[in-house]
Amino acid sequence: MDITRRGFLKIAGGTLAATGIGTGAYVKPAFAQPRKVKYAQEVPTVCPYCGVGCGIIVHVRNGKVINTEGDPDHPINKGSLCPKGGSLYQIANNDKRLSKVLYRAPGADSWTEVEWDWALDKIARNLKKERDASFVATNDKGEVVNRLETVASVGGASLDNEEVYALTKMNRALGLVYIEHQARI
Amino acid sequence: MAEYIKLIDVTKCTGCRGCQVACKQWNSLPAEKTIFSGSLQNPKDLTYNTWTLIRYDEVVKDGKLHWVMRHDACMHCDWPACAKACPSPGALVKTPEGAVVHNPQYCIGCKACIAACPFDIPRNNPELEKMAKCTLCYDRITEGKQPACVTACPTGCLTFGLKEDMLEKAHKRAEAVGGTIYPSNPKYETHVMYILPAGVSPKDLQHTNPNPSMPLSVLLWKNLFKPFTLIGMGAVIGGAFLHYLIKGPHEVHETKEGGE
Repeated sequence: MDITRRGFLKIAGGTLAATGIGTGAYVKPAFAQPRKVKYAQEVPTVCPYCGVGCGIIVHVRNGKVINTEGDPDHPINKGSLCPKGGSLYQIANNDKRLSKVLYRAPGADSWTEVEWDWALDKIARNLKKERDASFVATNDKGEVVNRLETVASVGGASLDNEEVYALTKMNRALGLVYIEHQARI
Repeated sequence: MAEYIKLIDVTKCTGCRGCQVACKQWNSLPAEKTIFSGSLQNPKDLTYNTWTLIRYDEVVKDGKLHWVMRHDACMHCDWPACAKACPSPGALVKTPEGAVVHNPQYCIGCKACIAACPFDIPRNNPELEKMAKCTLCYDRITEGKQPACVTACPTGCLTFGLKEDMLEKAHKRAEAVGGTIYPSNPKYETHVMYILPAGVSPKDLQHTNPNPSMPLSVLLWKNLFKPFTLIGMGAVIGGAFLHYLIKGPHEVHETKEGGE
């Protein structure tokens, strides 16, 4: 085997490096990781859950929500979030959320998948039936009240301000008096 | 590079577990199936998918009840036993910022760090055979952001900043509340510090180590026995070379086949 000067240096260097790894006298590799929200679009929003109204930044890339976190510049929460607001990411990304409408018939013990159109029609029909049956136009004194006391509306936590506004408009038009929302806690 | 400290003021913690959720959220860790254990602590212990956990302790001292909620995560030791014990270069790295960071790419799943850690923090993922623990959100602090748990904390219990500022703040706050600083050993510095409320000592709380130290076995193995093995390896190679010089190359004795 012919060993040239260059070849010898290569082998010697390689051996040195190999033994160096064993002793721990190695150069530590750089651990620079890019932040996962780098170059993502930042969309400020308001937490929908309670009445505090914490500011949240939603990071969006290619139209998909990739991260949510507290907005450090928001005057109310200054970046902090409770566990519920901290998990806001799962409103957009959670495979355990329902993606289809489920219907349980009166007396049935199981859920069946139904179409959106069918479900909305069913809700509208039930509401109409109930309103026709128990609408209170005047009270005992004969004053006009236009109340529907047998139906209540319970707003969900992830409804935003504008959705709640529209919902309340509709509820008032129907004559509902029992209108409640999670944000009042 | 500046060194940082995460200061945990236990007196201000309300146990909302926002930090626990923020950690999972930022590090994309999946949820776990847990069972009710009679305490608010959930899950019961740190796991490879739960890098930080609020531990609830009920300490009764002198007829007075202290309900202590403690944010438990990696302490980011100045002289980390886990990184010392780790045989795989780059799997556990002490960074100039003070964080002890694990890199799953280089982890070989030997669990030496789990045995070495004085605070019992690293956890093994049995499916991947890789360890996992808190990284002090290294990808955030290098870009000028605070760790996810600190950003999320609503009460100001968790704070993050330069080492000098945090040390000063910790001593001031401990004096103000009459509490103690944990870990209190000045010879064993960590990049996570606690201020415990008055009347509560680390001994009263679960999963604490009042006297943390580098395990002797790790020290002996890495500083004493390991160099010896290298000397031995060199001696074998040197001996072989010496043998070549003295005796010359290996001679092949030709034997006649079927010569008997």
